[in-house]
Amino acid sequence: MNYYVLPGAGIFGGIKVGFQFCDILSGLGLRVLVVTPDGEVPAWFCASTPVISRAVFEARVTTRDTVFFSLPHDYDWVSTLPGRKVFHCQGTDPLIEPVIADENLHLLSCWKQAHDFLAAKTGRPVIDVGISISDIFLYDGEPKAERLVTYMPRRGEGIADAVRDGNRYFSFEPISGRIEPDCAWLMKTSDYYLATARNEFFGLPALEAMAAGAVVLSVPVNGGMEYLHHGRNCLVDEAGDFSTLLNRLADRASENLRAELRHRGIETAYGYRRSQQVRKIRNALSGPLAELVSCD
Amino acid sequence: MRLTTVIPSVDFNGMLSTCIAALRVSIEAAGLSGHRIVVVDNASRFPYRTDEFGAGVDILRFDTPQSFSRACNAGASLHPDHHVLFLNNDVFLHRDALADMLGTRRRFNAQITGARLVFASGDIQHCGVNADGRNPQPFHIDVHKPTHIVSRAHRACMAVTGAAMLVDRICLQQTGGFDEIYPFAYEDVDLCLRARELGFRIACAQTVDSLHLTSMSPDRFKHEKTSRMIFEKRWRDRMTTDVLEGFAR
Repeated sequence: MNYYVLPGAGIFGGIKVGFQFCDILSGLGLRVLVVTPDGEVPAWFCASTPVISRAVFEARVTTRDTVFFSLPHDYDWVSTLPGRKVFHCQGTDPLIEPVIADENLHLLSCWKQAHDFLAAKTGRPVIDVGISISDIFLYDGEPKAERLVTYMPRRGEGIADAVRDGNRYFSFEPISGRIEPDCAWLMKTSDYYLATARNEFFGLPALEAMAAGAVVLSVPVNGGMEYLHHGRNCLVDEAGDFSTLLNRLADRASENLRAELRHRGIETAYGYRRSQQVRKIRNALSGPLAELVSCD
Repeated sequence: MRLTTVIPSVDFNGMLSTCIAALRVSIEAAGLSGHRIVVVDNASRFPYRTDEFGAGVDILRFDTPQSFSRACNAGASLHPDHHVLFLNNDVFLHRDALADMLGTRRRFNAQITGARLVFASGDIQHCGVNADGRNPQPFHIDVHKPTHIVSRAHRACMAVTGAAMLVDRICLQQTGGFDEIYPFAYEDVDLCLRARELGFRIACAQTVDSLHLTSMSPDRFKHEKTSRMIFEKRWRDRMTTDVLEGFAR
Protein backbone atom coordinates (compact mmCIF):
# COMPACT_ATOMS: atom_id res chain seq x y z
CA MET A 1 0.00 0.00 0.00
CA ASN A 2 1.04 3.57 -0.68
CA TYR A 3 0.19 6.14 1.96
CA TYR A 4 0.42 9.90 1.59
CA VAL A 5 0.56 11.73 4.89
CA LEU A 6 -0.93 15.22 5.04
CA PRO A 7 -1.31 17.54 8.02
CA GLY A 8 -4.99 18.23 7.34
CA ALA A 9 -7.50 18.92 4.62
CA GLY A 10 -7.81 22.69 4.81
CA ILE A 11 -7.46 25.25 2.06
CA PHE A 12 -3.76 25.15 1.35
CA GLY A 13 -2.16 24.46 -2.01
CA GLY A 14 0.00 21.68 -0.62
CA ILE A 15 -3.06 19.66 0.34
CA LYS A 16 -4.42 19.83 -3.18
CA VAL A 17 -1.07 19.01 -4.76
CA GLY A 18 -0.77 15.96 -2.51
CA PHE A 19 -4.22 14.72 -3.49
CA GLN A 20 -3.53 15.37 -7.17
CA PHE A 21 -0.46 13.18 -6.96
CA CYS A 22 -2.39 10.44 -5.17
CA ASP A 23 -5.33 10.55 -7.58
CA ILE A 24 -2.95 10.15 -10.50
CA LEU A 25 -1.08 7.27 -8.89
CA SER A 26 -4.39 5.63 -8.13
CA GLY A 27 -5.59 6.20 -11.68
CA LEU A 28 -2.45 4.48 -12.90
CA GLY A 29 -3.39 1.38 -10.95
CA LEU A 30 -1.61 1.72 -7.62
CA ARG A 31 -3.28 1.33 -4.26
CA VAL A 32 -3.10 4.68 -2.51
CA LEU A 33 -4.61 6.13 0.65
CA VAL A 34 -4.26 9.61 2.07
CA VAL A 35 -3.67 9.96 5.80
CA THR A 36 -4.90 13.01 7.71
CA PRO A 37 -4.89 13.47 11.50
CA ASP A 38 -8.49 12.41 12.10
CA GLY A 39 -9.38 11.14 8.65
CA GLU A 40 -10.75 14.50 7.60
CA VAL A 41 -11.33 14.96 3.88
CA PRO A 42 -10.99 18.09 1.75
CA ALA A 43 -14.26 19.80 1.04
CA TRP A 44 -12.90 22.43 -1.29
CA PHE A 45 -11.69 20.54 -4.36
CA CYS A 46 -12.42 17.30 -6.17
CA ALA A 47 -10.43 14.25 -5.19
CA SER A 48 -11.06 10.55 -5.35
CA THR A 49 -8.36 9.01 -3.15
CA PRO A 50 -9.87 7.66 0.08
CA VAL A 51 -8.68 9.06 3.39
CA ILE A 52 -7.90 7.32 6.65
CA SER A 53 -6.89 8.65 10.05
CA ARG A 54 -3.41 8.61 11.51
CA ALA A 55 -4.53 6.10 14.12
CA VAL A 56 -5.71 3.65 11.46
CA PHE A 57 -2.59 4.28 9.41
CA GLU A 58 -0.26 3.61 12.34
CA ALA A 59 -2.02 0.34 13.02
CA ARG A 60 -1.72 -0.78 9.39
CA VAL A 61 1.56 0.47 8.00
CA THR A 62 4.23 -2.18 7.43
CA THR A 63 7.74 -2.40 6.01
CA ARG A 64 6.23 -3.35 2.64
CA ASP A 65 4.47 0.00 2.33
CA THR A 66 5.58 3.33 0.92
CA VAL A 67 4.91 6.48 2.91
CA PHE A 68 4.89 9.80 1.08
CA PHE A 69 4.92 13.05 2.96
CA SER A 70 5.33 16.63 2.01
CA LEU A 71 5.46 18.81 5.08
CA PRO A 72 8.74 18.89 7.04
CA HIS A 73 6.74 19.04 10.26
CA ASP A 74 5.59 15.48 9.68
CA TYR A 75 9.10 14.13 9.36
CA ASP A 76 9.76 13.38 13.05
CA TRP A 77 6.64 11.28 13.28
CA VAL A 78 6.87 9.64 9.87
CA SER A 79 10.51 8.68 10.36
CA THR A 80 9.61 6.49 13.35
CA LEU A 81 7.20 4.38 11.29
CA PRO A 82 7.98 1.33 9.17
CA GLY A 83 7.96 1.51 5.37
CA ARG A 84 9.87 3.28 2.64
CA LYS A 85 9.79 7.06 3.13
CA VAL A 86 9.46 9.42 0.20
CA PHE A 87 9.60 13.19 0.54
CA HIS A 88 7.39 14.91 -2.03
CA CYS A 89 8.99 18.33 -2.13
CA GLN A 90 6.49 21.13 -2.65
CA GLY A 91 8.69 23.99 -1.52
CA THR A 92 12.29 24.80 -0.77
CA ASP A 93 11.78 26.26 2.68
CA PRO A 94 14.95 26.06 4.81
CA LEU A 95 12.90 23.91 7.18
CA ILE A 96 13.28 21.00 4.78
CA GLU A 97 17.06 20.94 4.92
CA PRO A 98 17.35 18.79 8.07
CA VAL A 99 14.69 16.50 6.58
CA ILE A 100 16.33 15.93 3.21
CA ALA A 101 19.64 15.35 4.98
CA ASP A 102 18.25 11.93 5.92
CA GLU A 103 19.92 9.69 3.38
CA ASN A 104 17.26 7.03 3.76
CA LEU A 105 14.71 9.41 2.41
CA HIS A 106 13.80 9.25 -1.27
CA LEU A 107 13.10 12.51 -3.05
CA LEU A 108 10.41 13.71 -5.44
CA SER A 109 10.12 17.21 -6.83
CA CYS A 110 7.22 19.06 -8.40
CA TRP A 111 9.10 21.66 -10.45
CA LYS A 112 12.56 22.42 -11.75
CA GLN A 113 13.76 24.85 -9.08
CA ALA A 114 12.81 22.35 -6.37
CA HIS A 115 14.50 19.58 -8.32
CA ASP A 116 17.70 21.56 -8.67
CA PHE A 117 17.60 22.60 -5.02
CA LEU A 118 17.23 19.02 -3.81
CA ALA A 119 19.89 17.71 -6.15
CA ALA A 120 22.36 20.41 -5.14
CA LYS A 121 21.73 20.00 -1.41
CA THR A 122 21.74 16.22 -1.28
CA GLY A 123 23.59 14.94 -4.33
CA ARG A 124 20.99 12.19 -4.42
CA PRO A 125 18.64 11.27 -7.25
CA VAL A 126 15.49 13.35 -7.45
CA ILE A 127 12.45 12.24 -9.44
CA ASP A 128 10.35 14.94 -11.06
CA VAL A 129 6.67 14.09 -10.72
CA GLY A 130 5.35 17.45 -11.82
CA ILE A 131 2.46 19.61 -10.73
CA SER A 132 -0.77 20.36 -12.54
CA ILE A 133 -3.77 22.60 -12.65
CA SER A 134 -7.24 21.17 -12.34
CA ASP A 135 -9.15 21.12 -15.61
CA ILE A 136 -11.82 23.20 -13.94
CA PHE A 137 -9.59 26.26 -14.42
CA LEU A 138 -9.35 25.95 -18.20
CA TYR A 139 -10.88 29.00 -19.85
CA ASP A 140 -13.81 28.15 -22.03
CA GLY A 141 -14.99 31.49 -23.30
CA GLU A 142 -16.67 32.72 -20.13
CA PRO A 143 -17.53 36.42 -20.40
CA LYS A 144 -14.95 38.58 -18.65
CA ALA A 145 -16.06 41.21 -16.16
CA GLU A 146 -14.29 44.32 -17.34
CA ARG A 147 -11.55 45.50 -14.97
CA LEU A 148 -12.17 42.75 -12.43
CA VAL A 149 -8.94 41.89 -10.64
CA THR A 150 -8.51 38.74 -8.56
CA TYR A 151 -5.71 38.16 -6.11
CA MET A 152 -4.63 35.84 -3.33
CA PRO A 153 -4.28 37.88 -0.17
CA ARG A 154 -2.63 35.22 1.95
CA ARG A 155 0.82 36.55 1.26
CA GLY A 156 1.81 39.93 -0.12
CA GLU A 157 -1.38 41.49 1.09
CA GLY A 158 0.31 44.87 1.45
CA ILE A 159 0.96 45.00 -2.27
CA ALA A 160 -2.61 44.04 -3.06
CA ASP A 161 -3.98 46.59 -0.59
CA ALA A 162 -1.90 49.36 -2.15
CA VAL A 163 -3.14 48.51 -5.62
CA ARG A 164 -6.73 48.25 -4.48
CA ASP A 165 -6.62 51.55 -2.61
CA GLY A 166 -5.06 53.36 -5.53
CA ASN A 167 -7.34 52.10 -8.31
CA ARG A 168 -10.99 52.94 -7.94
CA TYR A 169 -11.70 52.08 -11.57
CA PHE A 170 -10.97 48.43 -10.98
CA SER A 171 -12.88 46.03 -8.77
CA PHE A 172 -10.93 43.54 -6.69
CA GLU A 173 -11.91 40.07 -5.51
CA PRO A 174 -9.73 38.01 -3.15
CA ILE A 175 -9.79 34.29 -3.87
CA SER A 176 -8.65 33.02 -0.50
CA GLY A 177 -10.88 30.77 1.57
CA ARG A 178 -13.01 29.78 -1.40
CA ILE A 179 -13.74 26.37 -2.82
CA GLU A 180 -11.97 25.53 -6.04
CA PRO A 181 -14.98 25.91 -8.39
CA ASP A 182 -15.56 29.42 -7.06
CA CYS A 183 -11.90 30.34 -7.46
CA ALA A 184 -12.00 29.03 -11.00
CA TRP A 185 -15.19 30.91 -11.79
CA LEU A 186 -13.78 34.16 -10.38
CA MET A 187 -10.55 33.79 -12.31
CA LYS A 188 -12.38 32.92 -15.53
CA THR A 189 -14.49 36.03 -15.25
CA SER A 190 -11.66 38.34 -14.21
CA ASP A 191 -9.40 40.32 -16.52
CA TYR A 192 -6.34 40.30 -14.28
CA TYR A 193 -4.75 38.31 -11.51
CA LEU A 194 -2.23 39.74 -9.05
CA ALA A 195 0.41 37.34 -7.71
CA THR A 196 1.79 39.30 -4.78
CA ALA A 197 3.67 36.73 -2.68
CA ARG A 198 7.39 37.34 -3.09
CA ASN A 199 8.48 34.13 -1.38
CA GLU A 200 6.02 31.86 -3.11
CA PHE A 201 7.65 28.52 -3.85
CA PHE A 202 5.72 27.91 -7.03
CA GLY A 203 2.53 29.93 -7.02
CA LEU A 204 -0.02 27.53 -8.45
CA PRO A 205 -2.83 30.14 -8.29
CA ALA A 206 -1.02 32.34 -10.81
CA LEU A 207 -0.75 29.42 -13.19
CA GLU A 208 -4.41 28.60 -12.60
CA ALA A 209 -5.22 32.23 -13.39
CA MET A 210 -3.32 31.92 -16.67
CA ALA A 211 -5.37 28.82 -17.48
CA ALA A 212 -8.50 30.82 -16.69
CA GLY A 213 -7.56 33.50 -19.17
CA ALA A 214 -6.65 36.21 -16.67
CA VAL A 215 -3.63 38.38 -17.38
CA VAL A 216 -1.14 37.72 -14.60
CA LEU A 217 0.86 40.47 -12.92
CA SER A 218 3.40 38.95 -10.59
CA VAL A 219 6.29 39.70 -8.32
CA PRO A 220 9.27 37.38 -8.87
CA VAL A 221 8.83 34.05 -7.09
CA ASN A 222 11.13 31.14 -6.30
CA GLY A 223 10.00 28.23 -8.42
CA GLY A 224 7.36 29.96 -10.48
CA MET A 225 9.83 31.63 -12.80
CA GLU A 226 9.73 28.48 -14.91
CA TYR A 227 6.30 29.54 -16.14
CA LEU A 228 6.37 33.32 -15.56
CA HIS A 229 7.90 34.95 -18.64
CA HIS A 230 7.81 38.72 -18.42
CA GLY A 231 6.37 40.37 -21.46
CA ARG A 232 5.42 37.09 -23.05
CA ASN A 233 2.72 35.51 -20.89
CA CYS A 234 2.62 37.90 -17.92
CA LEU A 235 4.18 41.01 -16.51
CA VAL A 236 6.66 40.58 -13.67
CA ASP A 237 7.53 43.57 -11.56
CA GLU A 238 10.20 43.41 -8.89
CA ALA A 239 8.72 46.29 -6.93
CA GLY A 240 5.16 45.04 -7.16
CA ASP A 241 3.98 48.33 -8.63
CA PHE A 242 0.88 46.80 -10.11
CA SER A 243 -1.05 50.09 -10.15
CA THR A 244 1.03 51.41 -12.98
CA LEU A 245 0.89 48.11 -14.84
CA LEU A 246 -2.85 47.78 -14.45
CA ASN A 247 -3.52 51.22 -15.77
CA ARG A 248 -1.17 50.68 -18.66
CA LEU A 249 -2.80 47.40 -19.56
CA ALA A 250 -6.33 48.74 -19.23
CA ASP A 251 -5.62 51.46 -21.77
CA ARG A 252 -7.21 50.91 -25.15
CA ALA A 253 -3.81 51.17 -26.74
CA SER A 254 -2.75 48.04 -24.86
CA GLU A 255 -5.52 45.85 -26.20
CA ASN A 256 -3.16 43.80 -28.31
CA LEU A 257 -0.70 43.37 -25.47
CA ARG A 258 -3.50 42.22 -23.16
CA ALA A 259 -4.72 39.69 -25.70
CA GLU A 260 -1.19 38.48 -26.34
CA LEU A 261 -0.47 37.99 -22.63
CA ARG A 262 -3.77 36.23 -22.12
CA HIS A 263 -3.32 33.84 -25.02
CA ARG A 264 0.28 33.07 -24.17
CA GLY A 265 -0.74 32.53 -20.56
CA ILE A 266 -3.37 29.99 -21.58
CA GLU A 267 -0.80 28.34 -23.83
CA THR A 268 1.66 28.11 -20.94
CA ALA A 269 -0.95 26.71 -18.59
CA TYR A 270 -1.81 23.96 -21.06
CA GLY A 271 1.68 22.62 -20.47
CA TYR A 272 0.62 21.98 -16.89
CA ARG A 273 -2.63 20.18 -17.58
CA ARG A 274 -3.37 17.16 -15.50
CA SER A 275 -2.90 14.99 -18.57
CA GLN A 276 0.69 16.22 -18.79
CA GLN A 277 1.35 15.28 -15.19
CA VAL A 278 -0.25 11.89 -15.72
CA ARG A 279 2.14 11.33 -18.63
CA LYS A 280 5.10 12.43 -16.54
CA ILE A 281 4.22 10.14 -13.64
CA ARG A 282 3.48 7.25 -15.98
CA ASN A 283 6.94 7.66 -17.48
CA ALA A 284 8.48 7.89 -14.02
CA LEU A 285 6.70 4.68 -13.07
CA SER A 286 8.42 3.00 -15.98
CA GLY A 287 11.70 4.13 -14.45
CA PRO A 288 12.97 5.07 -11.01
CA LEU A 289 9.61 5.74 -9.39
CA ALA A 290 8.72 2.08 -9.86
CA GLU A 291 11.30 1.20 -7.22
CA LEU A 292 9.77 3.56 -4.68
CA VAL A 293 6.07 2.82 -4.89
CA SER A 294 4.48 -0.17 -3.23
CA CYS A 295 2.75 -2.58 -5.58
CA ASP A 296 1.05 -4.50 -2.77
CA MET B 1 -12.15 -18.27 -11.44
CA ARG B 2 -14.32 -19.84 -8.78
CA LEU B 3 -17.50 -17.83 -8.46
CA THR B 4 -20.63 -18.11 -6.37
CA THR B 5 -23.71 -16.03 -7.09
CA VAL B 6 -25.71 -15.13 -4.00
CA ILE B 7 -29.34 -14.18 -4.56
CA PRO B 8 -31.34 -13.13 -1.51
CA SER B 9 -35.01 -13.60 -2.23
CA VAL B 10 -38.44 -13.62 -0.65
CA ASP B 11 -41.30 -15.21 -2.57
CA PHE B 12 -41.59 -14.10 -6.25
CA ASN B 13 -40.73 -17.61 -7.43
CA GLY B 14 -41.39 -16.83 -11.07
CA MET B 15 -39.20 -13.76 -11.05
CA LEU B 16 -36.43 -15.64 -9.28
CA SER B 17 -36.58 -18.44 -11.87
CA THR B 18 -36.20 -15.90 -14.66
CA CYS B 19 -33.34 -14.22 -12.82
CA ILE B 20 -31.53 -17.55 -12.49
CA ALA B 21 -32.21 -18.50 -16.11
CA ALA B 22 -30.68 -15.24 -17.32
CA LEU B 23 -27.77 -15.71 -14.92
CA ARG B 24 -27.04 -19.16 -16.34
CA VAL B 25 -26.90 -17.77 -19.86
CA SER B 26 -24.53 -15.05 -18.75
CA ILE B 27 -22.32 -17.53 -16.88
CA GLU B 28 -22.08 -19.72 -19.95
CA ALA B 29 -21.27 -16.76 -22.18
CA ALA B 30 -18.52 -15.74 -19.77
CA GLY B 31 -17.04 -19.23 -20.01
CA LEU B 32 -17.11 -19.86 -16.26
CA SER B 33 -17.12 -23.41 -14.97
CA GLY B 34 -17.58 -24.74 -11.46
CA HIS B 35 -19.92 -21.90 -10.71
CA ARG B 36 -22.38 -22.15 -7.81
CA ILE B 37 -25.65 -20.35 -7.17
CA VAL B 38 -26.86 -19.78 -3.63
CA VAL B 39 -30.44 -18.66 -3.18
CA VAL B 40 -30.97 -17.23 0.27
CA ASP B 41 -34.62 -17.83 1.04
CA ASN B 42 -35.27 -14.95 3.39
CA ALA B 43 -38.44 -16.36 4.97
CA SER B 44 -40.64 -16.85 1.94
CA ARG B 45 -44.19 -17.88 2.78
CA PHE B 46 -43.60 -21.16 1.01
CA PRO B 47 -39.96 -22.29 1.24
CA TYR B 48 -38.20 -22.65 -2.09
CA ARG B 49 -37.75 -26.27 -3.12
CA THR B 50 -34.24 -27.54 -3.81
CA ASP B 51 -35.31 -28.86 -7.22
CA GLU B 52 -37.08 -25.69 -8.22
CA PHE B 53 -34.24 -23.89 -9.96
CA GLY B 54 -32.23 -26.67 -11.54
CA ALA B 55 -28.82 -28.14 -10.79
CA GLY B 56 -26.03 -26.26 -9.08
CA VAL B 57 -28.32 -24.20 -6.88
CA ASP B 58 -28.01 -24.28 -3.11
CA ILE B 59 -30.91 -23.04 -1.02
CA LEU B 60 -30.17 -21.41 2.30
CA ARG B 61 -33.39 -20.96 4.22
CA PHE B 62 -34.17 -18.46 6.95
CA ASP B 63 -37.49 -18.99 8.72
CA THR B 64 -37.53 -15.44 10.02
CA PRO B 65 -36.67 -12.42 7.88
CA GLN B 66 -33.07 -11.29 8.04
CA SER B 67 -31.54 -8.06 6.91
CA PHE B 68 -30.28 -7.91 3.33
CA SER B 69 -26.73 -7.75 4.70
CA ARG B 70 -27.18 -10.80 6.88
CA ALA B 71 -28.74 -12.75 4.01
CA CYS B 72 -25.93 -11.83 1.65
CA ASN B 73 -23.17 -12.60 4.13
CA ALA B 74 -24.71 -15.95 5.00
CA GLY B 75 -24.96 -16.87 1.33
CA ALA B 76 -21.38 -15.80 0.67
CA SER B 77 -20.10 -17.95 3.52
CA LEU B 78 -21.40 -21.15 1.92
CA HIS B 79 -18.46 -21.39 -0.49
CA PRO B 80 -15.73 -19.53 1.36
CA ASP B 81 -13.05 -19.84 -1.31
CA HIS B 82 -15.16 -18.33 -4.08
CA HIS B 83 -15.45 -14.80 -5.38
CA VAL B 84 -19.04 -13.66 -5.04
CA LEU B 85 -21.56 -12.10 -7.35
CA PHE B 86 -24.34 -10.59 -5.27
CA LEU B 87 -27.46 -10.44 -7.39
CA ASN B 88 -30.95 -9.20 -6.67
CA ASN B 89 -33.79 -11.47 -7.67
CA ASP B 90 -35.24 -8.74 -9.85
CA VAL B 91 -32.12 -8.36 -11.98
CA PHE B 92 -32.10 -10.16 -15.32
CA LEU B 93 -28.55 -10.14 -16.57
CA HIS B 94 -27.76 -9.48 -20.20
CA ARG B 95 -26.10 -12.44 -21.91
CA ASP B 96 -22.74 -10.63 -21.91
CA ALA B 97 -23.08 -8.87 -18.56
CA LEU B 98 -20.88 -11.20 -16.54
CA ALA B 99 -18.16 -11.24 -19.19
CA ASP B 100 -18.34 -7.46 -19.23
CA MET B 101 -17.97 -7.30 -15.45
CA LEU B 102 -15.03 -9.68 -15.48
CA GLY B 103 -13.36 -7.65 -18.21
CA THR B 104 -13.88 -4.43 -16.28
CA ARG B 105 -12.57 -6.09 -13.14
CA ARG B 106 -9.36 -6.99 -14.94
CA ARG B 107 -8.96 -3.69 -16.68
CA PHE B 108 -9.32 -1.61 -13.53
CA ASN B 109 -7.73 -4.13 -11.19
CA ALA B 110 -11.00 -3.72 -9.30
CA GLN B 111 -11.99 -5.82 -6.34
CA ILE B 112 -15.62 -4.72 -6.51
CA THR B 113 -17.28 -4.49 -9.91
CA GLY B 114 -20.79 -3.39 -10.74
CA ALA B 115 -23.02 -3.82 -13.78
CA ARG B 116 -24.90 -1.32 -15.88
CA LEU B 117 -28.59 -1.72 -15.12
CA VAL B 118 -31.67 -0.23 -16.75
CA PHE B 119 -35.30 0.06 -15.78
CA ALA B 120 -37.91 -1.69 -17.88
CA SER B 121 -38.23 1.59 -19.78
CA GLY B 122 -34.63 1.34 -20.90
CA ASP B 123 -33.59 4.32 -18.80
CA ILE B 124 -30.51 4.08 -16.62
CA GLN B 125 -31.05 2.62 -13.17
CA HIS B 126 -27.38 2.14 -12.32
CA CYS B 127 -24.08 2.82 -14.02
CA GLY B 128 -22.12 3.68 -10.89
CA VAL B 129 -22.76 5.45 -7.62
CA ASN B 130 -21.25 8.68 -6.47
CA ALA B 131 -21.78 10.76 -3.38
CA ASP B 132 -21.52 14.27 -2.15
CA GLY B 133 -18.65 15.12 0.10
CA ARG B 134 -19.94 16.93 3.18
CA ASN B 135 -23.42 15.54 3.09
CA PRO B 136 -23.04 11.87 2.33
CA GLN B 137 -25.90 11.31 -0.05
CA PRO B 138 -25.08 8.52 -2.48
CA PHE B 139 -26.81 8.83 -5.82
CA HIS B 140 -26.95 6.85 -9.02
CA ILE B 141 -24.97 8.50 -11.77
CA ASP B 142 -27.16 9.44 -14.77
CA VAL B 143 -30.20 7.76 -13.27
CA HIS B 144 -33.38 7.96 -15.40
CA LYS B 145 -31.48 9.12 -18.47
CA PRO B 146 -32.15 7.10 -21.63
CA THR B 147 -29.34 4.60 -21.83
CA HIS B 148 -28.44 5.52 -25.41
CA ILE B 149 -27.32 9.00 -24.34
CA VAL B 150 -25.17 7.81 -21.43
CA SER B 151 -21.52 7.08 -22.18
CA ARG B 152 -20.41 3.47 -22.17
CA ALA B 153 -16.89 4.37 -21.15
CA HIS B 154 -15.93 1.95 -18.40
CA ARG B 155 -15.14 3.88 -15.29
CA ALA B 156 -13.88 3.65 -11.77
CA CYS B 157 -16.38 5.01 -9.28
CA MET B 158 -16.94 5.53 -5.62
CA ALA B 159 -19.44 2.70 -5.24
CA VAL B 160 -21.70 0.34 -7.14
CA THR B 161 -25.10 -1.06 -6.34
CA GLY B 162 -25.42 -4.35 -4.50
CA ALA B 163 -28.12 -5.35 -6.99
CA ALA B 164 -25.37 -6.83 -9.19
CA MET B 165 -22.03 -6.62 -7.47
CA LEU B 166 -19.02 -8.83 -8.10
CA VAL B 167 -16.75 -8.92 -5.04
CA ASP B 168 -13.35 -10.54 -4.81
CA ARG B 169 -13.01 -12.96 -1.93
CA ILE B 170 -10.02 -11.11 -0.46
CA CYS B 171 -12.12 -7.97 -0.32
CA LEU B 172 -14.94 -9.80 1.42
CA GLN B 173 -12.50 -11.27 3.90
CA GLN B 174 -10.80 -8.01 4.72
CA THR B 175 -13.98 -5.93 4.94
CA GLY B 176 -15.98 -8.62 6.69
CA GLY B 177 -18.66 -8.36 3.99
CA PHE B 178 -21.79 -6.25 4.33
CA ASP B 179 -22.18 -4.55 7.68
CA GLU B 180 -25.21 -6.15 9.28
CA ILE B 181 -25.96 -3.02 11.25
CA TYR B 182 -27.91 -1.79 8.22
CA PRO B 183 -31.51 -3.02 8.23
CA PHE B 184 -32.02 -2.50 4.49
CA ALA B 185 -30.30 -0.07 2.05
CA TYR B 186 -26.94 1.68 2.00
CA GLU B 187 -25.06 -1.47 3.01
CA ASP B 188 -23.72 -1.78 -0.54
CA VAL B 189 -22.31 1.73 -0.66
CA ASP B 190 -20.93 1.29 2.83
CA LEU B 191 -19.13 -1.88 1.75
CA CYS B 192 -17.58 -0.06 -1.21
CA LEU B 193 -16.43 2.85 0.93
CA ARG B 194 -14.91 0.54 3.52
CA ALA B 195 -13.22 -1.40 0.75
CA ARG B 196 -11.77 1.83 -0.65
CA GLU B 197 -10.30 2.61 2.74
CA LEU B 198 -8.43 -0.67 2.50
CA GLY B 199 -7.07 0.31 -0.88
CA PHE B 200 -9.46 -1.77 -2.97
CA ARG B 201 -10.79 -0.38 -6.22
CA ILE B 202 -14.34 -0.08 -7.48
CA ALA B 203 -15.42 -0.05 -11.11
CA CYS B 204 -18.57 -0.44 -13.14
CA ALA B 205 -19.01 -2.31 -16.41
CA GLN B 206 -20.85 -0.37 -19.09
CA THR B 207 -20.89 -2.32 -22.33
CA VAL B 208 -24.30 -3.96 -22.01
CA ASP B 209 -27.52 -3.23 -20.15
CA SER B 210 -29.16 -5.66 -17.78
CA LEU B 211 -32.72 -5.25 -16.62
CA HIS B 212 -33.44 -4.26 -13.02
CA LEU B 213 -37.10 -4.11 -12.06
CA THR B 214 -36.09 -2.43 -8.74
CA SER B 215 -37.57 -2.38 -5.32
CA MET B 216 -39.69 -5.49 -5.66
CA SER B 217 -39.00 -6.60 -2.07
CA PRO B 218 -41.91 -6.21 0.30
CA ASP B 219 -41.42 -3.41 2.82
CA ARG B 220 -38.48 -2.21 0.74
CA PHE B 221 -38.66 1.32 2.11
CA LYS B 222 -39.66 0.51 5.68
CA HIS B 223 -36.08 0.39 6.90
CA GLU B 224 -34.53 2.90 4.57
CA LYS B 225 -34.64 5.84 6.94
CA THR B 226 -32.85 3.95 9.71
CA SER B 227 -30.22 2.74 7.27
CA ARG B 228 -29.74 6.20 5.94
CA MET B 229 -29.18 7.63 9.40
CA ILE B 230 -26.57 4.99 10.14
CA PHE B 231 -24.84 5.69 6.86
CA GLU B 232 -24.82 9.46 7.28
CA LYS B 233 -23.51 9.26 10.82
CA ARG B 234 -20.70 6.98 9.73
CA TRP B 235 -19.60 8.74 6.57
CA ARG B 236 -20.26 12.42 7.08
CA ASP B 237 -17.05 14.33 6.33
CA ARG B 238 -15.19 11.09 5.67
CA MET B 239 -15.58 10.75 1.91
CA THR B 240 -13.51 12.41 -0.73
CA THR B 241 -15.64 13.35 -3.67
CA ASP B 242 -15.00 13.92 -7.33
CA VAL B 243 -18.44 15.45 -7.70
CA LEU B 244 -18.30 19.21 -7.94
CA GLU B 245 -21.71 19.63 -6.38
CA GLY B 246 -20.42 17.69 -3.41
CA PHE B 247 -18.80 20.69 -1.87
CA ALA B 248 -20.26 23.55 -3.79
CA ARG B 249 -23.04 24.06 -1.28
